Amino acid sequence: MHEFSIASQVWESVARAAREHGGGRVLSVSLELGELNLVEDEQLRFWIGELGKRDGSPGVKLKIAKVRGKVSCSECGAEGEAGLPGGELDHFAAPVLSCKGCGSRNVVVTGGRELRVVSAEIEKGEANGGKG
Amino acid sequence: MRLFEATEQGTVEIEIGEDIEARLEELAERNRELFRERGIRAFDITGSVGAGKTSLIAGMVERLSGRHGVGVIAGDVATTRDAERVTGKGARKVLQINTGGMCHLDASLVYRTMERMPESGIDVLFIENVGNLICPSYFSLGVEARVAMVSASEGAHVIEKHPAMFESAALVVLNKTDIAEAVAVDLSRPVADLEAMRPGLRVVRTNCLTGEGIDEVVEALGLA
Repeated sequence: MHEFSIASQVWESVARAAREHGGGRVLSVSLELGELNLVEDEQLRFWIGELGKRDGSPGVKLKIAKVRGKVSCSECGAEGEAGLPGGELDHFAAPVLSCKGCGSRNVVVTGGRELRVVSAEIEKGEANGGKG
Repeated sequence: MRLFEATEQGTVEIEIGEDIEARLEELAERNRELFRERGIRAFDITGSVGAGKTSLIAGMVERLSGRHGVGVIAGDVATTRDAERVTGKGARKVLQINTGGMCHLDASLVYRTMERMPESGIDVLFIENVGNLICPSYFSLGVEARVAMVSASEGAHVIEKHPAMFESAALVVLNKTDIAEAVAVDLSRPVADLEAMRPGLRVVRTNCLTGEGIDEVVEALGLA
Protein backbone atom coordinates (compact mmCIF):
# COMPACT_ATOMS: atom_id res chain seq x y z
CA MET A 1 0.00 0.00 0.00
CA HIS A 2 2.51 2.64 -1.03
CA GLU A 3 -0.47 4.71 -2.11
CA PHE A 4 -0.63 6.47 1.25
CA SER A 5 2.98 7.72 1.01
CA ILE A 6 2.35 8.97 -2.49
CA ALA A 7 -1.05 10.47 -1.69
CA SER A 8 0.51 12.36 1.24
CA GLN A 9 3.14 13.90 -1.01
CA VAL A 10 0.60 14.74 -3.70
CA TRP A 11 -1.71 16.31 -1.17
CA GLU A 12 1.09 18.31 0.44
CA SER A 13 2.01 19.73 -2.94
CA VAL A 14 -1.62 20.59 -3.76
CA ALA A 15 -2.34 22.08 -0.34
CA ARG A 16 0.72 24.32 -0.65
CA ALA A 17 -0.35 25.51 -4.09
CA ALA A 18 -3.89 26.13 -2.84
CA ARG A 19 -2.58 28.19 0.09
CA GLU A 20 -0.48 30.29 -2.26
CA HIS A 21 -3.58 31.00 -4.32
CA GLY A 22 -5.89 32.15 -1.61
CA GLY A 23 -6.45 28.98 0.36
CA GLY A 24 -9.79 27.99 -1.13
CA ARG A 25 -11.24 24.49 -1.00
CA VAL A 26 -9.61 22.04 -3.42
CA LEU A 27 -12.16 20.62 -5.84
CA SER A 28 -9.97 18.37 -7.96
CA VAL A 29 -6.40 17.25 -8.50
CA SER A 30 -4.92 16.14 -11.82
CA LEU A 31 -2.15 13.62 -11.75
CA GLU A 32 0.04 12.07 -14.41
CA LEU A 33 0.79 8.51 -13.35
CA GLY A 34 3.10 6.01 -15.03
CA GLU A 35 1.77 2.45 -14.88
CA LEU A 36 5.18 1.08 -13.88
CA ASN A 37 4.91 2.77 -10.50
CA LEU A 38 2.44 0.00 -9.58
CA VAL A 39 0.16 2.46 -7.88
CA GLU A 40 -3.47 1.42 -7.49
CA ASP A 41 -5.77 4.17 -8.78
CA GLU A 42 -8.60 3.37 -6.41
CA GLN A 43 -6.43 3.34 -3.30
CA LEU A 44 -4.86 6.61 -4.36
CA ARG A 45 -8.33 8.14 -4.88
CA PHE A 46 -9.39 6.89 -1.47
CA TRP A 47 -6.40 8.46 0.30
CA ILE A 48 -6.65 11.77 -1.54
CA GLY A 49 -10.31 11.80 -0.51
CA GLU A 50 -9.42 11.13 3.12
CA LEU A 51 -6.68 13.77 3.19
CA GLY A 52 -9.07 16.25 1.58
CA LYS A 53 -11.70 15.48 4.20
CA ARG A 54 -9.13 16.06 6.94
CA ASP A 55 -7.97 19.39 5.54
CA GLY A 56 -11.23 21.11 4.67
CA SER A 57 -11.65 19.88 1.09
CA PRO A 58 -14.25 17.13 1.38
CA GLY A 59 -15.31 15.56 -1.91
CA VAL A 60 -12.05 16.37 -3.70
CA LYS A 61 -11.79 14.48 -7.01
CA LEU A 62 -8.64 12.87 -8.34
CA LYS A 63 -8.18 12.84 -12.11
CA ILE A 64 -5.55 10.37 -13.27
CA ALA A 65 -3.89 10.42 -16.68
CA LYS A 66 -2.21 7.02 -17.04
CA VAL A 67 1.11 6.79 -18.91
CA ARG A 68 1.96 3.42 -20.47
CA GLY A 69 5.25 1.65 -19.77
CA LYS A 70 7.76 2.15 -22.57
CA VAL A 71 11.15 0.58 -23.10
CA SER A 72 14.11 0.90 -25.37
CA CYS A 73 15.70 -2.46 -26.20
CA SER A 74 19.45 -2.76 -25.67
CA GLU A 75 19.59 -5.87 -27.92
CA CYS A 76 17.63 -5.00 -31.06
CA GLY A 77 17.23 -1.26 -30.60
CA ALA A 78 13.43 -1.33 -30.81
CA GLU A 79 11.51 1.26 -28.88
CA GLY A 80 7.95 0.93 -27.76
CA GLU A 81 5.47 -0.38 -25.28
CA ALA A 82 6.93 -2.66 -22.64
CA GLY A 83 6.19 -6.37 -22.87
CA LEU A 84 5.21 -8.07 -19.63
CA PRO A 85 6.37 -11.69 -19.78
CA GLY A 86 5.34 -12.10 -16.13
CA GLY A 87 1.72 -11.28 -16.99
CA GLU A 88 -0.35 -8.30 -15.94
CA LEU A 89 1.05 -5.55 -13.78
CA ASP A 90 -0.06 -5.86 -10.21
CA HIS A 91 0.96 -4.54 -6.86
CA PHE A 92 2.55 -7.70 -5.47
CA ALA A 93 4.49 -8.86 -8.49
CA ALA A 94 7.47 -6.83 -9.54
CA PRO A 95 7.23 -6.13 -13.26
CA VAL A 96 9.50 -8.15 -15.49
CA LEU A 97 9.80 -6.04 -18.64
CA SER A 98 10.82 -7.12 -22.07
CA CYS A 99 11.14 -5.90 -25.64
CA LYS A 100 8.01 -6.66 -27.66
CA GLY A 101 10.18 -6.95 -30.76
CA CYS A 102 12.79 -9.56 -29.83
CA GLY A 103 11.69 -10.62 -26.34
CA SER A 104 14.94 -9.56 -24.68
CA ARG A 105 14.80 -8.49 -21.06
CA ASN A 106 17.80 -6.26 -21.56
CA VAL A 107 15.70 -3.10 -21.79
CA VAL A 108 15.88 0.44 -20.48
CA VAL A 109 12.66 1.99 -19.19
CA THR A 110 11.87 5.19 -21.11
CA GLY A 111 8.33 5.80 -19.93
CA GLY A 112 5.80 4.74 -17.35
CA ARG A 113 7.57 5.96 -14.23
CA GLU A 114 5.90 9.39 -14.26
CA LEU A 115 4.41 10.62 -11.04
CA ARG A 116 3.56 14.28 -11.44
CA VAL A 117 0.96 16.58 -9.94
CA VAL A 118 -0.18 18.46 -13.04
CA SER A 119 -2.74 20.87 -11.66
CA ALA A 120 -5.50 21.43 -9.16
CA GLU A 121 -8.84 23.14 -9.33
CA ILE A 122 -9.62 25.26 -6.30
CA GLU A 123 -12.44 27.46 -5.16
CA LYS A 124 -11.57 31.08 -5.57
CA GLY A 125 -10.40 32.37 -2.20
CA GLU A 126 -10.68 35.94 -0.85
CA ALA A 127 -6.99 36.73 -1.34
CA ASN A 128 -6.96 35.51 -4.91
CA GLY A 129 -6.75 38.39 -7.33
CA GLY A 130 -7.00 36.51 -10.62
CA LYS A 131 -4.45 35.48 -13.19
CA GLY A 132 -0.84 35.72 -12.10
CA MET B 1 3.56 27.47 -10.52
CA ARG B 2 1.09 29.83 -12.15
CA LEU B 3 -2.54 30.40 -12.53
CA PHE B 4 -3.56 29.61 -16.07
CA GLU B 5 -7.25 29.31 -16.26
CA ALA B 6 -10.41 30.45 -14.61
CA THR B 7 -12.58 27.41 -15.27
CA GLU B 8 -15.95 28.65 -14.11
CA GLN B 9 -17.22 31.27 -11.79
CA GLY B 10 -15.64 30.94 -8.38
CA THR B 11 -13.11 28.29 -9.28
CA VAL B 12 -9.58 28.51 -10.60
CA GLU B 13 -7.27 25.91 -12.00
CA ILE B 14 -3.68 26.17 -10.86
CA GLU B 15 -0.82 24.55 -12.65
CA ILE B 16 1.49 22.75 -10.25
CA GLY B 17 3.82 20.50 -12.22
CA GLU B 18 5.50 19.00 -9.18
CA ASP B 19 7.36 15.74 -9.62
CA ILE B 20 6.57 13.50 -6.66
CA GLU B 21 9.62 11.31 -7.28
CA ALA B 22 11.78 14.40 -6.87
CA ARG B 23 9.94 15.26 -3.67
CA LEU B 24 10.54 11.75 -2.28
CA GLU B 25 14.22 12.15 -3.12
CA GLU B 26 14.28 15.45 -1.21
CA LEU B 27 12.93 13.66 1.83
CA ALA B 28 15.63 11.00 1.51
CA GLU B 29 18.22 13.76 1.24
CA ARG B 30 16.92 15.30 4.49
CA ASN B 31 17.64 11.94 6.21
CA ARG B 32 21.08 11.78 4.60
CA GLU B 33 21.87 15.21 6.08
CA LEU B 34 20.58 14.21 9.50
CA PHE B 35 22.72 11.05 9.50
CA ARG B 36 25.74 13.06 8.35
CA GLU B 37 25.27 15.70 11.05
CA ARG B 38 25.03 13.09 13.77
CA GLY B 39 27.84 10.92 12.41
CA ILE B 40 25.54 7.95 11.86
CA ARG B 41 26.16 5.22 9.31
CA ALA B 42 22.68 3.98 8.41
CA PHE B 43 21.68 0.77 6.63
CA ASP B 44 18.30 -0.26 5.18
CA ILE B 45 17.75 -4.00 5.66
CA THR B 46 15.13 -5.27 3.21
CA GLY B 47 13.74 -8.69 2.39
CA SER B 48 10.58 -10.78 2.40
CA VAL B 49 8.65 -11.81 5.46
CA GLY B 50 10.72 -14.56 7.10
CA ALA B 51 13.94 -13.94 5.16
CA GLY B 52 15.81 -13.49 8.45
CA LYS B 53 16.18 -9.70 8.70
CA THR B 54 15.63 -9.55 12.46
CA SER B 55 18.05 -12.46 13.11
CA LEU B 56 20.69 -10.79 10.96
CA ILE B 57 20.27 -7.47 12.77
CA ALA B 58 20.33 -9.15 16.18
CA GLY B 59 23.55 -10.96 15.19
CA MET B 60 25.18 -7.75 13.91
CA VAL B 61 24.15 -5.79 17.01
CA GLU B 62 25.69 -8.50 19.20
CA ARG B 63 28.96 -8.25 17.31
CA LEU B 64 29.11 -4.44 17.13
CA SER B 65 27.75 -3.20 20.46
CA GLY B 66 31.15 -3.42 22.18
CA ARG B 67 32.70 -0.77 19.95
CA HIS B 68 29.73 1.06 18.43
CA GLY B 69 26.62 2.77 19.68
CA VAL B 70 24.06 0.86 17.66
CA GLY B 71 20.52 2.06 17.05
CA VAL B 72 17.79 -0.07 15.48
CA ILE B 73 14.53 0.97 13.87
CA ALA B 74 12.24 -1.98 13.27
CA GLY B 75 9.43 -1.42 10.82
CA ASP B 76 6.41 -3.69 10.89
CA VAL B 77 2.80 -3.51 9.95
CA ALA B 78 1.91 -4.41 13.55
CA THR B 79 3.36 -5.61 16.91
CA THR B 80 6.70 -4.97 18.63
CA ARG B 81 7.97 -8.56 18.22
CA ASP B 82 11.01 -7.60 16.14
CA ALA B 83 12.07 -4.84 18.48
CA GLU B 84 11.76 -7.27 21.39
CA ARG B 85 14.04 -9.77 19.65
CA VAL B 86 16.79 -7.18 19.18
CA THR B 87 16.52 -5.61 22.64
CA GLY B 88 18.98 -7.27 24.97
CA LYS B 89 21.59 -7.77 22.25
CA GLY B 90 23.37 -4.58 23.31
CA ALA B 91 21.75 -1.95 21.10
CA ARG B 92 21.71 1.53 22.62
CA LYS B 93 18.20 2.18 21.40
CA VAL B 94 15.61 0.07 19.62
CA LEU B 95 12.53 1.78 18.21
CA GLN B 96 9.57 0.18 16.54
CA ILE B 97 7.59 1.78 13.71
CA ASN B 98 4.18 0.24 13.15
CA THR B 99 3.16 1.27 9.69
CA GLY B 100 -0.47 0.26 10.27
CA GLY B 101 -0.90 -1.50 6.97
CA MET B 102 1.67 0.32 4.90
CA CYS B 103 3.90 -2.13 3.03
CA HIS B 104 7.18 -0.22 3.26
CA LEU B 105 9.01 2.43 5.26
CA ASP B 106 9.47 5.83 3.71
CA ALA B 107 11.94 8.62 4.37
CA SER B 108 9.53 10.81 6.32
CA LEU B 109 8.53 7.96 8.67
CA VAL B 110 12.21 7.33 9.40
CA TYR B 111 12.83 11.06 9.91
CA ARG B 112 10.00 11.30 12.44
CA THR B 113 11.23 8.19 14.25
CA MET B 114 14.72 9.70 14.49
CA GLU B 115 13.21 12.36 16.79
CA ARG B 116 12.87 9.61 19.40
CA MET B 117 16.44 8.38 18.87
CA PRO B 118 19.08 9.80 21.30
CA GLU B 119 20.85 12.75 19.65
CA SER B 120 24.29 11.44 20.49
CA GLY B 121 25.93 8.11 21.20
CA ILE B 122 24.59 6.35 18.09
CA ASP B 123 27.00 5.84 15.21
CA VAL B 124 25.49 2.80 13.47
CA LEU B 125 21.82 2.51 12.59
CA PHE B 126 20.06 -0.56 11.23
CA ILE B 127 16.64 0.09 9.77
CA GLU B 128 14.62 -3.07 9.32
CA ASN B 129 12.17 -2.45 6.52
CA VAL B 130 8.72 -4.02 6.31
CA GLY B 131 8.91 -7.63 5.08
CA ASN B 132 8.31 -7.12 1.37
CA LEU B 133 10.62 -7.50 -1.60
CA ILE B 134 8.78 -5.07 -3.85
CA CYS B 135 7.38 -1.81 -2.45
CA PRO B 136 10.38 -0.76 -0.29
CA SER B 137 12.53 -0.69 -3.42
CA TYR B 138 10.67 2.44 -4.61
CA PHE B 139 11.38 4.43 -1.46
CA SER B 140 14.89 5.62 -0.64
CA LEU B 141 15.46 6.16 3.08
CA GLY B 142 18.63 8.19 2.57
CA VAL B 143 20.88 5.49 4.00
CA GLU B 144 24.49 4.66 3.22
CA ALA B 145 23.61 1.24 1.81
CA ARG B 146 20.66 -1.04 1.26
CA VAL B 147 21.04 -4.71 2.11
CA ALA B 148 18.65 -7.03 0.24
CA MET B 149 18.16 -10.32 2.01
CA VAL B 150 16.69 -13.49 0.56
CA SER B 151 16.41 -16.94 2.04
CA ALA B 152 16.84 -20.28 0.31
CA SER B 153 13.19 -21.23 0.83
CA GLU B 154 12.02 -18.29 -1.30
CA GLY B 155 12.88 -20.33 -4.37
CA ALA B 156 15.43 -20.28 -7.15
CA HIS B 157 13.77 -17.46 -9.11
CA VAL B 158 13.46 -14.89 -6.35
CA ILE B 159 16.12 -12.53 -7.76
CA GLU B 160 14.87 -12.64 -11.32
CA LYS B 161 11.30 -11.90 -10.22
CA HIS B 162 12.15 -8.88 -8.07
CA PRO B 163 14.69 -6.92 -10.08
CA ALA B 164 13.95 -3.49 -8.61
CA MET B 165 15.08 -4.46 -5.12
CA PHE B 166 18.33 -5.95 -6.33
CA GLU B 167 19.07 -3.05 -8.64
CA SER B 168 19.16 -0.74 -5.64
CA ALA B 169 21.01 -3.04 -3.19
CA ALA B 170 24.66 -2.57 -2.23
CA LEU B 171 24.89 -6.05 -0.71
CA VAL B 172 22.86 -9.22 -1.03
CA VAL B 173 22.61 -11.66 1.87
CA LEU B 174 21.60 -15.20 1.00
CA ASN B 175 20.25 -16.68 4.23
CA LYS B 176 19.19 -20.16 5.36
CA THR B 177 21.71 -21.74 3.01
CA ASP B 178 21.63 -24.81 5.27
CA ILE B 179 18.08 -25.70 4.18
CA ALA B 180 18.55 -25.21 0.43
CA GLU B 181 18.82 -28.92 -0.21
CA ALA B 182 15.80 -29.74 1.96
CA VAL B 183 13.63 -27.35 -0.07
CA ALA B 184 15.20 -28.49 -3.36
CA VAL B 185 16.56 -25.07 -4.32
CA ASP B 186 19.77 -24.78 -6.28
CA LEU B 187 21.41 -21.63 -4.94
CA SER B 188 23.65 -21.26 -7.96
CA ARG B 189 20.57 -20.01 -9.86
CA PRO B 190 19.85 -16.85 -7.83
CA VAL B 191 23.57 -16.15 -7.65
CA ALA B 192 23.86 -16.39 -11.45
CA ASP B 193 20.77 -14.16 -11.93
CA LEU B 194 22.33 -11.57 -9.69
CA GLU B 195 25.64 -11.73 -11.52
CA ALA B 196 23.81 -11.14 -14.82
CA MET B 197 21.90 -8.19 -13.40
CA ARG B 198 24.61 -6.57 -11.26
CA PRO B 199 28.01 -7.95 -12.22
CA GLY B 200 30.37 -7.99 -9.26
CA LEU B 201 27.73 -7.23 -6.62
CA ARG B 202 28.78 -8.93 -3.39
CA VAL B 203 26.70 -11.85 -2.10
CA VAL B 204 27.25 -13.17 1.42
CA ARG B 205 25.84 -16.57 2.41
CA THR B 206 24.57 -16.83 5.95
CA ASN B 207 22.84 -19.05 8.43
CA CYS B 208 21.62 -16.42 10.85
CA LEU B 209 20.38 -19.07 13.28
CA THR B 210 23.92 -20.27 14.00
CA GLY B 211 25.54 -16.92 13.18
CA GLU B 212 27.50 -18.31 10.25
CA GLY B 213 28.41 -15.59 7.76
CA ILE B 214 27.31 -12.64 9.91
CA ASP B 215 30.93 -11.58 10.50
CA GLU B 216 31.31 -11.39 6.74
CA VAL B 217 28.21 -9.17 6.43
CA VAL B 218 29.65 -6.84 9.08
CA GLU B 219 32.90 -6.73 7.14
CA ALA B 220 31.15 -6.19 3.79
CA LEU B 221 29.33 -3.17 5.25
CA GLY B 222 32.66 -1.72 6.34
CA LEU B 223 31.80 -2.07 10.02
CA ALA B 224 34.43 -4.63 11.04
